[in-house]
Amino acid sequence: MTERFVPWLVGLALAALIVLPIFVQGTYYRFLGIVVFIYGIVAVGLNILAGYAGQFSLGHAALMAIGAYTTALLTKALAPLPFFAATGLHIWFGVFAGTLVAAVFGALLAFPALRVRGPYLAMVTIAFGWVIFKILQEWVPVTGGDLGLSSIPKAQLGPYFFDTGSFYYVVLGLFVATLILQYRLINSELGLRILAIKHSEIAVSSIGINVYRLKVLVFVISAAFAGFGGTLFAHQQNYVSPDNFQFFSSVFFLLAVLFGGAGTLMGPVIGAAVLTILPELLQDFEKFRLIIYGGFILLTLYFLPNGVMGLLAARSMGARRTAIDSTVVDAKSADKLATTVGIGLQLHNICKSFGGLQALRDVELRVEPGTIHALIGPNGAGKTTLINIATGFYPLDSGEIVIDGRPVTVRSLDDAANQGIVRTFQTIKLFGNMTVLEHVVVGCARHSTSGYLGAIIGRKTARHEAARNIAIARDIISFVGLALYENMPANSLAYGHRRLLEIARALAVRPQLLLLDEPAAGLVAEEIHTLGRLIRLLRASGMTVLLVEHHMELVTSISDRVTVLDYGVVIADGPPAAIQRDERVIAAYLGNPHAAA
Amino acid sequence: MYFFFQVALSGIATGAIYGLIAVGYSLTYMTTKALNFALGMWVMLGGMLTYSLTVLHAFPPLATFPIVVSALFALGIVAERFSVMPFLRAGSDVWVMSTLAVGFLMIDLAEIVWGRSPSQVPAFLGKNPIYIGAVSVLPQQLLIIAAACVTFIALDLFYRRTLLGKAFRAVAHSSETSSLMGINTRRVQAVSYAAAAALAGFAGFLVVPLTLAEPQLGTVLGLKAFAIAIIAGLAAPRGILVCGLAYGALEALISGYFYTGIRDILGFSLMILALFLRPEGLFGKAVEERA
Repeated sequence: MTERFVPWLVGLALAALIVLPIFVQGTYYRFLGIVVFIYGIVAVGLNILAGYAGQFSLGHAALMAIGAYTTALLTKALAPLPFFAATGLHIWFGVFAGTLVAAVFGALLAFPALRVRGPYLAMVTIAFGWVIFKILQEWVPVTGGDLGLSSIPKAQLGPYFFDTGSFYYVVLGLFVATLILQYRLINSELGLRILAIKHSEIAVSSIGINVYRLKVLVFVISAAFAGFGGTLFAHQQNYVSPDNFQFFSSVFFLLAVLFGGAGTLMGPVIGAAVLTILPELLQDFEKFRLIIYGGFILLTLYFLPNGVMGLLAARSMGARRTAIDSTVVDAKSADKLATTVGIGLQLHNICKSFGGLQALRDVELRVEPGTIHALIGPNGAGKTTLINIATGFYPLDSGEIVIDGRPVTVRSLDDAANQGIVRTFQTIKLFGNMTVLEHVVVGCARHSTSGYLGAIIGRKTARHEAARNIAIARDIISFVGLALYENMPANSLAYGHRRLLEIARALAVRPQLLLLDEPAAGLVAEEIHTLGRLIRLLRASGMTVLLVEHHMELVTSISDRVTVLDYGVVIADGPPAAIQRDERVIAAYLGNPHAAA
Repeated sequence: MYFFFQVALSGIATGAIYGLIAVGYSLTYMTTKALNFALGMWVMLGGMLTYSLTVLHAFPPLATFPIVVSALFALGIVAERFSVMPFLRAGSDVWVMSTLAVGFLMIDLAEIVWGRSPSQVPAFLGKNPIYIGAVSVLPQQLLIIAAACVTFIALDLFYRRTLLGKAFRAVAHSSETSSLMGINTRRVQAVSYAAAAALAGFAGFLVVPLTLAEPQLGTVLGLKAFAIAIIAGLAAPRGILVCGLAYGALEALISGYFYTGIRDILGFSLMILALFLRPEGLFGKAVEERA
């Protein structure tokens, strides 16, 4: 319900921000407004990184500083030239350059930051911020040291110089543009990927997306916003010094994001506004300023643990358990699914050891195209290890992977997906509270050709493609029988439905070989029956399916061929009927009666 | 060579302080995966209390020590109850903010109670340097190094030999399983938080005669200690002491041989490099995510 009022509220607030300065005398409030907008821009950038992608940074003040110092140095150098003095272009060139340089530093920061997570990531960003801060202090000939850089040119367009009153509107306009950009970004397919990364990097990788490149991109985008804010800050203040960009400023931005509501569109703005204006209001209470500030934050956290916007955006509808009979594999949607040319997979002489433990020894596996091949064996036999090797999750010690007769190397999960092999996981890996539809659209998005930028600026081809991907995703969802739950967050689905959703997401990548790691685990009989039908329909569409499973009834009823692993060695291989009679297999599962001493 | 040892030794004393604070981050991280981001402010509080007691009320240091440590422990229990536990229970990450907010409160309170101007606290064992060969060292510095070593040995014994220590380690692995085994995980979490606060207070007590008593006393100390806890690996208390001492010495040597301005630039750049090479910390064990 509340969501319907949001556009109205935003419109009203915008109108107020445009009209209010006309009635308010004095530059103080306009100045305050500019500061709020600039901090808002930086906070939006941090929100994309911390709120949406889940990568906390405590170094954003440094990125802002890089933008500010870049434009300060550039514009100071260019201002005396007559061309720039007449046109004011140096300002806008400086703004552009500052944003760009900050983005480059964002990529540099991403390099070490990508390898770490949680508090370790926080540390890398803190250290980065500290190093930049100290360089600003110590590199006196360039940065002016503690004194900073003064008489930075004022914003200018042609002969017109902006004063606080008119610059207010410039910054307001840029601020609104930033918000629109954030909105577009988050609602694009790139945005879905960014959201997904917060929940499971492995799962993102499994649908063919290069997590590494995606994370670098998010850092770059976030840094660009921070640098952009920094450039505006420099031209507003006409003076920058290291003091403006201390560690505490980075803390401020993170607080703003968390306070307003991380991962919400308006949260960072609200946070930046409140945390900027509050200390101003508290000037009369100089002595108790931090107490009120700290107390205010604590109280807010008590009552709004997910930030101000978190209250409005409460998405989770609580776990809903629905009767399983609503899950019906829709054979009609199966017709709509594109037919697949299944690929064959051969694994030769695969060996893998973990420390002293040899998990796999000279394993041979031959999966024929367009068949259902089951891989079975007691717990600890090495089934999942073999799958991890086939999908590039583990490097192999020795041996060969052959896809459709070509020897290949599989470097990572996303590499495997791009070679046509997509997998699901024994422990389900979904994207938290993203909806069923969003899960499947992320999978489809791998096939988008229009590029990230097209979606953000709203190109027509990109819009068409997005619409087509949604249509395909819907077909896949009804195929696995989750049509009723299309808009449910994944974390409120029943267990069996989560399994199906994981399969749907994998199907969206259009695999030629689908690898299912214990899909029946935890399912009730009826659900297993449904699963069996689903897998058979996939084979009918041409897909190859490799199934790791314990549930013998499912295995024998649908498989064309079964390979049995025990203690890392293949002990049997053949049609299911033969496997069921194989003495070695029976011994592996039930123990060898002759071995009993 | 004499200069090298002279500088390194005083650096090691600073490093011992880093280590004492840093292990506090590790204590809470291991049991709750949460950190008290304002631990530096707790160091400050320990230092300011020490100033109050020894300078203003003429307590002997030996009597001041138990008062400071137990006061901070008690305060830690209270702070945990109100600023961490409600959010941990809700599974939310906002303890980042709430612990910082408590830190802001503490800085402001300290300014109101003690004022902003720095004050001297006399060294506990006098200020005449002791000579080891040609190398001179302040008794306070030796005291700090000794205290840190004793604390870490005690901590090691605690983790390995006592029932509560084993409970700590169990909760670190899985609080769910621990609670099934009859461990009061709530109490373990609260105690670990309070113990970190007490250790920070202890560090403040030790360091304040070398610095000055002022409300900003702990801010940078807390930050650097955090860096050291991360570099060593949050789950590796022994490594934290080693890294703390090494970083303290390194810092002092950079200042001694180059100049102070470049100290943090080099120091923190090395930290980023170290984390790049070993993302789980120098002494941490890699935990591979399973598919």
